[in-house]
Amino acid sequence: MGVDWIVIVEKSIFGAGAALGFGILFNVPNRTLIYIALLGLTGVCLKNIAIGLNINIILACFIGASAVGLLSMVASKSKHSPPLVFSIPGVIPMVPGIFTYKLMLGMIKLTGETGNNFDTSLDDTVSNGLKAIFILMALAVGVSMPNLIFRKESFHEMTILSRMERRVKLPRKVKRRKRI
Amino acid sequence: MSDSPQEQEIKALGLILLRTGSMLMSNGASTARIRMTIDRIANNFGYDADLFITHRALTLSLSDKDNDHTFSSLKRTDPQGVNFKIVSGISRMSWSVKEHGWSFEQIEKELDRLTSIPHYPRLVLLSLVALAGASFCGLAGGNPLAMCICFAASFIGLFVRQEAHKRQFNIYLCVFFAAFTAAMFAGSFCKLYPNSNLETAFATSVLFLIPGVPLINSFTDLFDGNILNGMLRIVHGLIIAFMIALGLVCSIAIYKF
Repeated sequence: MGVDWIVIVEKSIFGAGAALGFGILFNVPNRTLIYIALLGLTGVCLKNIAIGLNINIILACFIGASAVGLLSMVASKSKHSPPLVFSIPGVIPMVPGIFTYKLMLGMIKLTGETGNNFDTSLDDTVSNGLKAIFILMALAVGVSMPNLIFRKESFHEMTILSRMERRVKLPRKVKRRKRI
Repeated sequence: MSDSPQEQEIKALGLILLRTGSMLMSNGASTARIRMTIDRIANNFGYDADLFITHRALTLSLSDKDNDHTFSSLKRTDPQGVNFKIVSGISRMSWSVKEHGWSFEQIEKELDRLTSIPHYPRLVLLSLVALAGASFCGLAGGNPLAMCICFAASFIGLFVRQEAHKRQFNIYLCVFFAAFTAAMFAGSFCKLYPNSNLETAFATSVLFLIPGVPLINSFTDLFDGNILNGMLRIVHGLIIAFMIALGLVCSIAIYKF
């Protein structure tokens, strides 16, 4: 069991495409589009690496979402836009579409079935539904977590992050993101 | 009866602040951000602002330091959707007010400029959102053919949603029409070619409608302690999600999957 890099690269590119499309739908400023695509790519990439390392899918989504939240704060500083402009389109590629769809199909089935079939449908539906709901919550909490941790009265006056950025962390972070 | 200069100033500032706040609310900013922006502008002119924010109305009460003059008013907020160019522009404007000491006229002019900024061209918007739909299909493990179908379905779905908006249908109905059209389009291919793994296209064809901004903003609001606004947004997001599901269910019922 290892990490399948080709699949991860493919999915990361799809993640960038989805984030870009949603950025356009939300009418973000032109200068932020590239950062949004990079954020979508990073989030999906981290999520899939975490899944490849046998981490639970809910935790994996949480890791991806908090990375997006953290990077959106750095990006908002350098592009002078509020963090939510970056974080919301960046996190959308991780939304669990298939699980929600299966949850819905399962609920339709449950209204009509009886006997043994009912039990198997119930198992599938509950499992898919709980996954979908918890992934959605993990995404929402993960994205807002960095904002809550690093917040002071306002973003310009924040000392921790600006120091971090100015001295050491930002150059490294940018390099790491490019290598991915 | 004419007002004194101080009365006129506080009134002019109050109206500007109400306009700023309602623009932020109807374009998808979180409650804490609205409060912060309005406080920043008001404090810069030497006033204290108190706010009561809901998603359809904004109440502002403005007073100077000695409490000699006060101004209170209520402004209705139009539900519009999401436009981050305005949110980002107002955030930058509030910093210019603080750092370069802008006057009331400059603020008004900037607000007018922000409202008149055009959206992305329609074809660009449609094709890039369709690209996002295709990417969702790829993320869910669909094959290239399914991605192409999903691209077309998202394109048509968003087109229907825009047209419905133009005819001023209820916003939830617009979502239902879009979801139904996209699902019917993608489902027709699944019905015609049953054994070619096109089900992912059907499942992901409606994902371009997901209410990302209300759901994430609701959690931000809930954690900030703005529980009332958080619940408002969560309910709004859930109604949209319900309408998407309804569109899918209708097409499932028609195609008998």
